[in-house]
Amino acid sequence: MREFRFRLILILAFVALSLYLLFPTYADLQNTKSIEEEVSLYRQTILTANPEIDDAELVSILTLKEDSIRVSDPTIRENREKRVKLGLDLQGGMYLVMEVNTAKLLEKLVKNPDSEFDALFKEAEAESKLSDENLVSILANKIQGQGKRLSRYFGSLRDDDSDIIARLEEQESDAITRAIEIISNRVNQYGVSEPNIQKQGSRRIIVELPGIAKEEEAKRLLQGSALLEFRMVKESDFTIPIMNRIDEILAGNVDSAVADSSSTDSTDVANMTAEQFALEHPFFSVAIINPQSPFADAFVRETDRDKLTIFLNRPEVQKVIPDNVEFLFSAKPANVQEGENIYRLFLVNRQAELTGGVITDAQANIDPQTTEPIVNMQMDSEGAREWARITGANVQKRCAIILDGGVYSAPTIQQKIPNGSSRISGMEDLNEAKLMEIVLKAGALPAPVDIIEERTVGPSLGQDSISQGFNSTFIGFLLVAIFMIFYYKKAGVVADVALFFTIVFIMGILAGFQATLTMPGIAGIILTIGMAVDANVIIYERIREELTTGKTAKAAIESGFAHSYSAIFDSNITTFFTGIILYQFGSGPIQGFALTLMIGIVCTLFSALVITRVIFDMMAARGSKINIG
Amino acid sequence: MRFLDNTNIDFISKRKITYLVSGSLILLSLLSLAIRGLELGIDFIGGTEIAIKFEKPIDIAQVRNDLDAIGLGNIEVKTFGGETGLLIRTELQDMDPELFSRVTGSVTNAIKTAFPGIQFTEVGATVNSVTFQFDSTKTAAGVSTKMFELGFQTSRSENNTVVFSVGIADWIEESLRESMPDNPFVIQKEDQVGPKIGEELKQNSVIAVFLALLVILIYLGFRFKFAFALGAVLAVFHDVLITLGLFSMLYGLIPGLNLEISISIVAAFLTLVGYSINDTVIVFDRIRENLKLHKTANLKDNINGGINRTLSRTMVTSATTLFVVIVLLIFGGDVLRGFAFTLFFGILIGTYSSVFVASPFIYEYATRRKKTIQF
Repeated sequence: MREFRFRLILILAFVALSLYLLFPTYADLQNTKSIEEEVSLYRQTILTANPEIDDAELVSILTLKEDSIRVSDPTIRENREKRVKLGLDLQGGMYLVMEVNTAKLLEKLVKNPDSEFDALFKEAEAESKLSDENLVSILANKIQGQGKRLSRYFGSLRDDDSDIIARLEEQESDAITRAIEIISNRVNQYGVSEPNIQKQGSRRIIVELPGIAKEEEAKRLLQGSALLEFRMVKESDFTIPIMNRIDEILAGNVDSAVADSSSTDSTDVANMTAEQFALEHPFFSVAIINPQSPFADAFVRETDRDKLTIFLNRPEVQKVIPDNVEFLFSAKPANVQEGENIYRLFLVNRQAELTGGVITDAQANIDPQTTEPIVNMQMDSEGAREWARITGANVQKRCAIILDGGVYSAPTIQQKIPNGSSRISGMEDLNEAKLMEIVLKAGALPAPVDIIEERTVGPSLGQDSISQGFNSTFIGFLLVAIFMIFYYKKAGVVADVALFFTIVFIMGILAGFQATLTMPGIAGIILTIGMAVDANVIIYERIREELTTGKTAKAAIESGFAHSYSAIFDSNITTFFTGIILYQFGSGPIQGFALTLMIGIVCTLFSALVITRVIFDMMAARGSKINIG
Repeated sequence: MRFLDNTNIDFISKRKITYLVSGSLILLSLLSLAIRGLELGIDFIGGTEIAIKFEKPIDIAQVRNDLDAIGLGNIEVKTFGGETGLLIRTELQDMDPELFSRVTGSVTNAIKTAFPGIQFTEVGATVNSVTFQFDSTKTAAGVSTKMFELGFQTSRSENNTVVFSVGIADWIEESLRESMPDNPFVIQKEDQVGPKIGEELKQNSVIAVFLALLVILIYLGFRFKFAFALGAVLAVFHDVLITLGLFSMLYGLIPGLNLEISISIVAAFLTLVGYSINDTVIVFDRIRENLKLHKTANLKDNINGGINRTLSRTMVTSATTLFVVIVLLIFGGDVLRGFAFTLFFGILIGTYSSVFVASPFIYEYATRRKKTIQF
């Protein structure tokens, strides 16, 4: 047995690794099932207690319940993060490809356009629709073709044509960055779970929104122009009393449903007091105030955000919040505590002092004197006049910079700014300053994006696909397994064992890569089942041949394997190449297919060359009869 | 159990027959591609495609009639997933402006039916949406929720307005709801692709297939001889061409089998390339081995020997792969049917070509150029 020890340990290690990687997926499936049961039970209790409950409210309470269960146990969250994710085609949702509308961008950037420019512009626009070349260079060629310099329309007179082209292209790529920031911000506020927003090439954005059924709403979310506002933040002597009132109202009138959901089953004393606090101060238990801070910003855990929003939207709470102010969350987490994102909650004026349209430019920089990251912001003359008045009247107060309802920053106004040229400091690092620049420019130069591809999959089709995929895998495996036993007898059983492990490995590696399982991906697995036995077939046929030449079992196995290597490797490597090309060429679902195909090839090779081999060697060592049908 | 054991078939001498078979298949495919062409899906030409599932069985001819009258021009209607499912496709990108008032009028009527006596005004419209204003935020919220439940795509902006989507897909869905009020349906999937993406995809697909062939040519050129590499690539090209030809000949003829070329069909073609080359390489490997072992034997015997020795393997692997592909074809659902069909035929032709096209090519190449192939 000693000579097999290494290989056996290797195999066991791979099996264990695969199972380890697959466990979160299994656990998540179980968790989801039990949570569903719990929630539906809870739904029944609410319905019996209050049969006339509003549908929307019921849904929001149930989501809250589900969230609180998911949060109560960190392992649930961990398993969910590590599970094999399902692609949009399996779980339903929206897939969108968006492209920056360069034409609209250029129209905004051009100065003194004349009729000649308009004509050239129209031509260039039409041409760019049919060509790969980008609009900037087509237009530049056309203008130069007329014997004119680009500086007639863009940039300043002293600029070279090449500088201007470079600058315009930079504007284009800036627009993409801006669009991504705007979209991420909105998607984040809309509360889509596990969205995926990524840049593709130089001008495209791919957005994946799992589980979104409201198409029109999602589109508006992604396409509408961004609203940047400057609004004053309320001071703490105004905010704290309001928060106290809210807390009192909520404590006196705690909805039993919500209080229930926040309590856990644990009974130890430390938790009891926290629960007690939560019962007496429902608001301050989720919106935590730092008593040392001069500001009344509350800090809210990400998982408490929805709960707090429901609190704030209650009619009795709305009554105590003055009409001219509202609570807004920070767009990005203010900090991270125990692995959880913490958001700031601001009380700001409803009325904007200024909107982003007045901003003409923003630039992130490092202050040469203090080496501190800063953002310089310019405004047009009208904006500057307003800005001077606003800053003059609000020195030492905070002005929130708000994009689409998310607070990005709330700097304190240090002095009156007379000429519209402002400097924002206090950023952590240059990245944060860059983000600020992007946000400020979103007001000045909207990034017009067009949706050029849109795919929506309803949840029912996804469900059907999953069960069809599962059934096909099962039936396919069974058919191949039976055939192999029928054709190769005992050796067929060995091949089936190897095939079974191949599937376990594929799933394990997919989970390890955090890959997304798509319908074509399942097809890839099924196809792999059919092709996986190929290596075994090649080896078996060869061993049969070697046996007919009168070799002993051991020698036949030895030379059967040895003679099969080149065929197996050459054939699988060429197939692997096509897999790589498929991966490069494809998008989303097709990449999933290519990935499973490639992983399948690697796993197949391991199973055939290591697992099958070791089983055969062990059988030969024991002197048992080698039966290849 | 074994079959095809110890066969001794003289494949090379029979090559003229298969040249004729392959030649006529290629000719037929080229003719069909030239005359009938291919049915390209919206992935390639752009347009809108909706898959819907009704509660009760539907009369597809009736649906075609109904949709002819809604002013969108030629709309294709096919079955999708049994007798309650439909796949509706149009290449149209933008709504005809003349149709717009009809569409918004229809939305207005639907609101009035759902909320009798409600007051509202149209306050704005874009190419594919229309905005209505209601007397209060509460009413607007109610309308938005209710109309969404009824199947409209609605969304709210901040105040008392509701935006209705009135794109091509919405208009088709609305018309179906009106013409079949007693047979509700759900949207299974809805795809809208712009023309630019399709154009790029067309290029990329062709590039991907040719790149795959090129990579194979280079790799096999290294591992074998140039004649082998060329033979393998030729065989794969032969398979792709004939399968494409089959798509061209059969589209629209077999009910329930959707043979339009989509991204997943291109993926299936690349898989076919992989499978076919896999099969060919295994035969070649044996020929290479024979050429090394029996340096004195003539090329014909070595090639025939290689094919015969691997014949059993070729058949067994083709069989197991065909099993799973047939399973996919039957149980894989509509999404994968075209994909499975491509592979089903691809495996058959791929197996055929590795024996009858790729291997004879080596012989042909060597004898015509009077070259001896040695490893």
